[in-house]
Amino acid sequence: METELIIVREYCQKSHVDPSFIVSLEEDGLIDIQVVDGERYLLVSQMQDLERFVRWHEDLAVNIEGIGVIHELMGRMHEMQQEINQLRREVRLLRTDYLEEIL
Amino acid sequence: MAYIDYYKILGIDKSASQDDIKKAFKKLARKYHPDLNPDDPNAKQRFQEINEANEVLGDPEKRKKYDQYGENWKHADEFEAQKQRYQQQGGFEGGTHWSSEGGFSGMGGDGEFSDFFESLFGSRRGRGRSAVFRGQDYNAELHLSFRDAAQTHKQVLSVNGKNIRITVPAGVADGQTIKLKGQGGPGVNGGPAGDLYITFVIAEDPVFKRLGNDLYVTTSLNLYTAVLGGEQVIDTMSGKVKLKVKPGTQNGAKVRLKGKGFPVYKEEGKFGDLIVTYSVEVPTHLTEKQKELFQELQKLS
Repeated sequence: METELIIVREYCQKSHVDPSFIVSLEEDGLIDIQVVDGERYLLVSQMQDLERFVRWHEDLAVNIEGIGVIHELMGRMHEMQQEINQLRREVRLLRTDYLEEIL
Repeated sequence: MAYIDYYKILGIDKSASQDDIKKAFKKLARKYHPDLNPDDPNAKQRFQEINEANEVLGDPEKRKKYDQYGENWKHADEFEAQKQRYQQQGGFEGGTHWSSEGGFSGMGGDGEFSDFFESLFGSRRGRGRSAVFRGQDYNAELHLSFRDAAQTHKQVLSVNGKNIRITVPAGVADGQTIKLKGQGGPGVNGGPAGDLYITFVIAEDPVFKRLGNDLYVTTSLNLYTAVLGGEQVIDTMSGKVKLKVKPGTQNGAKVRLKGKGFPVYKEEGKFGDLIVTYSVEVPTHLTEKQKELFQELQKLS
């Protein structure tokens, strides 16, 4: 079983991420930090999000507020994409029915 | 190794100012950032190209060197000699090119640059990128037949040379994605492994059309059964079923057969409905006798 928690200090050191960046993300509610016996931990389940935030910050110079907005919009885009895919399937189904009728 | 036109990648003129280059880079970086284009497998490569172009043109010294080489590029011999010199200096490490990862997306590679870049500037590393920690996520497609998707069954997937056994629950939807935690690429420096995302692609069935858990089927009904009522045999997923047809059934009339549809995902024993649409067949090529009888009917009504 893999560990579900990652020590913040170790992550920052190994990934060359500024610890203050992690603090800011937590303060804005973008990631959670768990404290166990005074040690601060990241959740493995949030690592994908965290690494995405780090890339936006480094690749595109997006600040914490911007990361929050992009994250929110990406979520909405994902939902919309799902809905579009679903509607496409339904339209395709209806369209073939219609074509069969007029042919 | 091919010559790379960095100006073309950034879509700018050779006479572009450093400000123009910065602007073009930022614009393209936003547009092609792989995180913002999760469904585009080419975005990652494009983004790396853009980064590399900026690494060269955004730095006046590198740009100057690149421009000089560019002018002489056609003199291949000269270039080969240059390359030899680099190799002797130990600056040429050889190895990977930009690689697209054949169906697997996600960031990895840690900002690696092309061999072309390396032959000119030695190091292939980008500036200031954070190190990879968590393993790469893999994406795979699993193609299922319509009938297979209706049954819980086991499948063996081969992902990056590793065989993974999964159980596909009955009722998966076309385009549905499931996550297999920790089955992606290995982590780096003790980081957690990535995840494997499997998207189901379900083939269409020639008979049944599926919308959610409901199935749709069209069956032809002869005119006399439609008018007078009777019985009609129809196909369902679990075999043939005889239906009672009411007298006066209209063309396009629909009948709902409860529980004869597609199995509901992860709700064992639960099924959607089957909706049967009757398509009434109007007789053609009538004999004289039939024609007379229809005319008689016409006069009566």
